[in-house]
Amino acid sequence: MVTTYIRRAYSSFVAHVFDIPARLLAFLLFLTLLFIPFAIQNTYYLRILILANVLAIFAVSWDFLVGRTGQISLGHAIFFGIGGYITALLSSSKFFGLPIFLTIPIAILAACIIALALGIPSLRVKGPYLALVTMSFPLILAALLKWYPLNHIFKGEFGIRGLPALVPRLDWMTIGQQRVGEYYVTLILLFAASVILYKIANSKIGLVFVSILDDELASKACGINVTKYKLMGFMISGLFGALAGCIQTHLLRFANPPMFALTLSFLPVIVTFLGGLGTIYGPIVGAYIYYILDSYVLRDWLPRFLKETVGVTLPPEFDFAKLLIFTLIVLILVIKLPRGIAKFTTDKLGDLEEARDLDERGPRIWKTYKKKEKTTSTGSEPTASS
Amino acid sequence: MLEIKDLTVHYDGAMALNRVSLKVEEGEFVGVVGPNGSGKTTLLRAISGVLMEIEPGKKERPSLSGSIMFNGKGIDKSKAWNITKMGVIHCPERRRPFAEMTTLDNLRMGAYLRKNRSEIKKDLEWVYELFPILKERARQMSQTLSGGEQQMLAIGRALMSKPKLLLIDEPSLGLAPLLKEAVLKVIKEIWRSGVTILLVEQDVAITLASAQRIYILAHGRIATQGTKEELMKSRDVREIYLGL
Ligand SMILES: Nc1ncnc2c1ncn2[C@@H]1O[C@H](COP(=O)(O)OP(=O)(O)O)[C@@H](O)[C@H]1O
Ligand SMILES: [Mg+2]
Repeated sequence: MVTTYIRRAYSSFVAHVFDIPARLLAFLLFLTLLFIPFAIQNTYYLRILILANVLAIFAVSWDFLVGRTGQISLGHAIFFGIGGYITALLSSSKFFGLPIFLTIPIAILAACIIALALGIPSLRVKGPYLALVTMSFPLILAALLKWYPLNHIFKGEFGIRGLPALVPRLDWMTIGQQRVGEYYVTLILLFAASVILYKIANSKIGLVFVSILDDELASKACGINVTKYKLMGFMISGLFGALAGCIQTHLLRFANPPMFALTLSFLPVIVTFLGGLGTIYGPIVGAYIYYILDSYVLRDWLPRFLKETVGVTLPPEFDFAKLLIFTLIVLILVIKLPRGIAKFTTDKLGDLEEARDLDERGPRIWKTYKKKEKTTSTGSEPTASS
Repeated sequence: MLEIKDLTVHYDGAMALNRVSLKVEEGEFVGVVGPNGSGKTTLLRAISGVLMEIEPGKKERPSLSGSIMFNGKGIDKSKAWNITKMGVIHCPERRRPFAEMTTLDNLRMGAYLRKNRSEIKKDLEWVYELFPILKERARQMSQTLSGGEQQMLAIGRALMSKPKLLLIDEPSLGLAPLLKEAVLKVIKEIWRSGVTILLVEQDVAITLASAQRIYILAHGRIATQGTKEELMKSRDVREIYLGL
């Protein structure tokens, strides 16, 4: 009984994961992520991976909005910042002192409503114009937060500090154990967020987004309430963007105006293009590449290498040059590898796959229907080709 | 079924339709012919409601006056998707299907508002019967279809919305003569199956050959209307508007 069940589960696993190169790769990467804490004992490095998870959630939400619904936002930091600030205000012991399992959902809901407002320009303008309009939103809010009459609430540049931690450190825990806990919490949230967004993107709703992106007028002629879907795209994206902001706030235990900074609006763009636009999984790969490059290579290895072999000490201004380096990398990628690293890899693997099995490809949206269709069409094929 | 009274449309101050009145009875096949720029597309867009929708990049909404009634209900203030819901389906001009989708998904998008799966399936079979080539191309990305196939798919997609009144905008545009005939033949077949049709065309010959009643649109006005025989009787109409 149990053995047959296991055997069936195993064979379906082989058929659905092992036999498909791209999925096998994804599975192996997932396993790696799952076991990394056992390999890395250094809490500093683990911290960086935790932040990579948060950035990945944030970038995936951006990718959904831009890559799947086609609405360019260069002001995604607004969701990050709003999520962060609301949960900060509500959970701070100086204000409401609510527990974070309440404040995070409230912050996310509030961000959804803000997303609705942010989505309204998308009904009027698109492309670069929309990008510019959205870009201004977080900057306005950041200015408001620093406005001195509000300093008793928002504490200006200093930000709201001393917030409850995402994973509280219990008496028996070492810092390392707390980090491992944080790592798994963020990993699970990343996994959940990307699976949900991926499912939405490949559902009937996703198809509607594709149609609006392609031809608004024809979508309306199909009876699609375009306004509703556009705002919905912003809300879904804003929800996960705010989630990322909330997580980071409680990881770092403070919320400050740089959460609304331009850098945070551009980071998801950079990592999404690194990984592959419109793929959902691409930004995850991109976020990890970004953090590995940023923290291990540029911050650790390069200064050490230069100091030891060349004898040059990098000035602190080098931090500024980092964004420049990333911009250059993205520039080269956009020209040389416009699909992004992850998408390029899966496409290559997909070609292998295609050579083997031409039939099963294409979106699986109308799966059940296609199955039936296939049986009938194979029957009529000889007449069609003759 | 459809009754338009004194419909006037201005784009940014420029008049595109000037007091157009027009009637389509249930089960009729009505044609509107007119040269380029006479306002045919504007007319259909006004009926289906897409004319007054806000669209990104559009500077100003056109202004519209007069009334459009569908089955006794005023629809000139309704949203496009609501009008679609009522069964007025617009097959837009020069419209390629959704490019990033397969043929089948395009047809499914047409049935977006419908719930009854078995009926949808029946209609899909019907579309495949009308355009067998679409069945062969079912899983091909629609951007790789030929121009004729794309026009067929556009009509097929409109049919999947279960139209009571089908508005077709220049289906012959850019098609080879033989293909034009084929597409028109299918449109007639759709009409015979009980769908009321309002066809808008530049091509006088094919419209005269298929529609029961024809309106002649010139510079945004209805110049005259009648059956093919009535129109052909007048030498002025023949020479000035029909070029025959
Ligand atoms: N979006 C628009 N903005 C301004 N003027 C327009 C617009 N669309 C059409 N027009 C003008 O309205 C008139 C009618 O156009 P149209 O309805 O497309 O005619 P047809 O379909 O018969 O070629 C033309 O003079 C055209 O220039
Ligand atoms: Mg036209």
